[in-house]
Amino acid sequence: MKRLIDIMMEEKRDVLLSVLFGVLAGLTSVALFGLSGFMISKSALQPPLYIITIMTALLKLFGAAKAGSRYAERYVSHRATFTILSNLRVSFYEKLEPLAPRIFGKYRSGDLLARIVGDVETLQNFFLRVFYPPLVLVIVFLSTVLFTMFYSVWIALVLLAGLLFTGFIIPGLLSLKQRNVMRGVRAKRAQLSTETTELLYGFRDLKLHQKLDKKQGQLLEMANSYAGEQEKEGVQAAASQSLNAAAALFVSFMVLVLGAYFVTIGELDGLLLAMLVMISLTVFDNAVPMALFPAHFEETRQASSRLFSVVDEPAPAPKKQRLDEERAFSIELKNVTFTYPGEERPALQDVSFKLPAGTKTAIVGPSGSGKSTVLQLLLDMYAVEHGDLFIGETSIRDIQSESIWSQTNVMLQANHFFYGTIKDNLQIAREDVTDEEMKEALRVVELPFSLDDPVLEGAENVSGGEKQRLALARVLLKRARIWLLDEPSSSLDVLTEGRMFNHLLKAAEKDTLLLISHRLTGLEKMDQIIVMENGRIAEAGSFGELMAKQGYFYELKQMERQVIE
Amino acid sequence: MKELQNWAFAQKGIIGALVGLSVLLGTVITGQAYFLVHAVDAVFLQEKAFQAIIPLLGFLLGTMAVRVFITYMNARLGVKLAAIVKRHVRTLLLHKWTSNPIQTAIQGQSGGKVTVMMEAVDSIDSYYREYMPQVIKASIVPLIVLAAVSYTHIWSGVIMMITAPFIPLFYIIIGIKTQKKSEEQLGQLAAFSGQFLDTLQGLQTLKLFGRSARQREEIQRSSLGFREATMDILKIAFTSTLMLEFISTLSIGLIALEIGLRLVVFDSISFVSAFFVLVLAPEYYTALKELGAAFHTGRGSLGASEKIKEELQTDDHAVQWGIKEVTAQPSLALENVEFRYGDGFAVKTVNFRIEPGARVAIVGATGSGKTTLLNIVAGLFDPLAGEVLVDGQPRHQFSEASWFEQISYISQVPYLFSGTIEENILLGAVGQPTREEVEEAVRKAGLKEMIGELKQGLDTSVGEAGRGLSGGEKQRVALARAFLKKPSLVLFDEPTTGLDLKTEQILQRSIDELAETATVITVAHRLHTIQQADVIFLMKRGEVEAAGTHTELLDTSETYRLMVQGGGAQ
Repeated sequence: MKRLIDIMMEEKRDVLLSVLFGVLAGLTSVALFGLSGFMISKSALQPPLYIITIMTALLKLFGAAKAGSRYAERYVSHRATFTILSNLRVSFYEKLEPLAPRIFGKYRSGDLLARIVGDVETLQNFFLRVFYPPLVLVIVFLSTVLFTMFYSVWIALVLLAGLLFTGFIIPGLLSLKQRNVMRGVRAKRAQLSTETTELLYGFRDLKLHQKLDKKQGQLLEMANSYAGEQEKEGVQAAASQSLNAAAALFVSFMVLVLGAYFVTIGELDGLLLAMLVMISLTVFDNAVPMALFPAHFEETRQASSRLFSVVDEPAPAPKKQRLDEERAFSIELKNVTFTYPGEERPALQDVSFKLPAGTKTAIVGPSGSGKSTVLQLLLDMYAVEHGDLFIGETSIRDIQSESIWSQTNVMLQANHFFYGTIKDNLQIAREDVTDEEMKEALRVVELPFSLDDPVLEGAENVSGGEKQRLALARVLLKRARIWLLDEPSSSLDVLTEGRMFNHLLKAAEKDTLLLISHRLTGLEKMDQIIVMENGRIAEAGSFGELMAKQGYFYELKQMERQVIE
Repeated sequence: MKELQNWAFAQKGIIGALVGLSVLLGTVITGQAYFLVHAVDAVFLQEKAFQAIIPLLGFLLGTMAVRVFITYMNARLGVKLAAIVKRHVRTLLLHKWTSNPIQTAIQGQSGGKVTVMMEAVDSIDSYYREYMPQVIKASIVPLIVLAAVSYTHIWSGVIMMITAPFIPLFYIIIGIKTQKKSEEQLGQLAAFSGQFLDTLQGLQTLKLFGRSARQREEIQRSSLGFREATMDILKIAFTSTLMLEFISTLSIGLIALEIGLRLVVFDSISFVSAFFVLVLAPEYYTALKELGAAFHTGRGSLGASEKIKEELQTDDHAVQWGIKEVTAQPSLALENVEFRYGDGFAVKTVNFRIEPGARVAIVGATGSGKTTLLNIVAGLFDPLAGEVLVDGQPRHQFSEASWFEQISYISQVPYLFSGTIEENILLGAVGQPTREEVEEAVRKAGLKEMIGELKQGLDTSVGEAGRGLSGGEKQRVALARAFLKKPSLVLFDEPTTGLDLKTEQILQRSIDELAETATVITVAHRLHTIQQADVIFLMKRGEVEAAGTHTELLDTSETYRLMVQGGGAQ
């Protein structure tokens, strides 16, 4: 919460203005109704006409001031809210940036990002619904209490007690209950979402095994109990609000009773009774919404603790070495064993191989054999646990990750493209890339795009094969000397794949290249082929050697020949 | 809007109760003002003793309590209405999906469907929880208050009647003027808010290209853009509230002035009546303003209801079933079977016969309708025209349970449910197999070694969608299901890409073993499979182009020859 307040206070001016206008709106509204009560009482006593005229004019003035300051309050507080949202995003990005991409490995499910975005958006409510309304409430109330004190200390005390109850004690007591109710809703929601996913994705298997009706029944039950939990939450909210409203009305009632009593014993001028009752009724208008305070408070508290727990990861210890010179480094794995966090079976077991500088190597093997894990480790996305990994002569434990990334041309299985234009997406390859170079790269990868063509969200207007070629164009522009390519041509047809390979090999002629592939075509040109299975190296050698040996690779090749499309 | 209303009005009891409560609320509000005014009047002008007003105070306390209670019940009924409708809509959706296999089977859309089930249904909540009770309350309460005021002092009532239409009128004018603008803005808003997610998703790419630090300004720029766009919309909303506030303040002022003048100058109204009108006037205008605000709340649910409507409106093609029992090892035939999904893939006039115990292969290019055909044979889709015959009789005469008892379907991506490995294998079981039988199936499916490596063996949890198991291992779990089930018809969608060698060998061996006691229909991608087949159906653009054994087809079909040789020559 403290960090949240720090971020919020960057907008000190708008925060103060919001409070100021909020207080002004609250006070003018109290004044408006108080005055109208006073006026009507005064009128009953047959005052001169000018008194009525003056009071009516005052009423108009207060009315206008109230409406105006309410408008200003809303405007400023919302502007502040959205500025705070912007600051939150920036500040969160600044914290997340040094931890990426490693952190994505830890939270492998894709919904981490959606959750972050959602949580940040929830936090924009912190200022609007949690922080400043209580502040305004207290100031307005205390001013009203102070004013009332001139007429009756007792009534002032009743109002003060009312503030304590409606503003603090009742919401405070309710917040505990709120926490439990919300936990219930969340748990049921997660269950229902999981079950729905299972039913939809597993539909065929469920149907064939005659388990669909049972699953459907379970799901309906869950949908009902989720709605039930939400209902509980709704009833709880209604009860909170009603409780607060009841308390507020009761206070106004007590003001009336006390006031009436003081009037009858002559301690209060009857003229003021209507005014005091009207003041009390109005001032509590501000307090009733406080019943929802616990819900908002709880929501933002959870969002902020979730968010900051993501970025509270200790940053990895700084490493010293940089891969400064631009050359084709050699790469070597020595007895590397690696298990993904939270998994039982190791993804790599005792893997050793060497890629001499300037050579071309392919890693092949079925899905789940550990091919991509090698690449993840090479990119320092995960720390090597057992064994060691060398780039050039330096252990990866000593090399700064940024310097590895800057020295490599990487193509992952899923490449991200940003909302914008083709040019925006190619430009990130290198600082000084020119339009001509980009056009040339597009020509080489046979994409008919122009630089100004739009790229939609998630590059949904670009097909799978086009995405791969666009990613290829991007790495071709980068000009680093180590190439790490994870199934770069899986969505291309065989002929296009062959042509792209030729471009790649030409561009990487003097560089170190590691290609991960589950197809076995076009590997004849590789200096070395490493065959992996079950996290181990099954075989390694050149294409000719492996075929001559008639071992594992040979069998895979035979199997591939069996496949017809 | 119409669906939302229909769902609400189906709950006549709740709607009736809401109306009743609103009438009561109007009465109570009037009563509260009445008692309050009389209490003040008694001590202020009539200078009565405190004891004299105690009954009045008692009544006042009573009306206040009732008012709070009604507000609570109103909210509660809204919540209840929302819960009932949400349950109803979820049941409708689920029923639609489970009875409409085609729609559900298109896997790419499953994510979107989960969103409809969760978010879209939750988004209609506010319509019932807030909008409906608010609209009902705001349409009834002002009428009662107006009646009470008019009865007391007709001129105040007239002022109220004259000024009231300005509020909805103003909403309409603002609405027309701003709707277009706000719709334009909404598109922009979506783009801005998507950008933060886009940047986070691309953070890995940015890091790899050393561009991540730069993106900070980009986020700030788009967030501030988001702020400007949002503020433009909000400004309109705030201005309209401001104007409404002015209208109501002005109206209350008019009323106050009028009764004030009468009270002082003409002395033609009593203090009690004047004060009563003055207390009720704000209640009247507040209720009207709420009515305006309610329409705003209601709009938010519209988009969601559209999405739900879309889901519910798609065509229904439930598979038909009867009551006859399927005998073991039935013969199968397809007669003039036709099928199509929307305007996508189609299968046209397919005819073929499959004898019990035969090994059948279906081959053809991507999109030629092979998998669709397999789904029709499996009884997951009903043909749009033509018949599937089981032992010479239409399949819809047989019972669903006895049909599926005979079938195993091994798809390219078998779905594993969250639960243990054993639970996933048991999905295939008919009756209650012993642990030994499960272990036997595990051994036959070549899973024994893998399971042996796991600390908890068969009791290891696989997690949602079988995370942690490779594609080949999932296929073997599906095989184990089949071994446990001992089906008389095996449908097999052969993997298009190579699995690990071991799984490939196990698949071949297992299918051979299953074929000893079952008819096997394979969508084939392996030379081995088609060479073994008793009959091969070659599909082309939704039709059977040729049928025969491998050697026959090599002779008679050019398409087949090219396909087989093209694959083998790679």
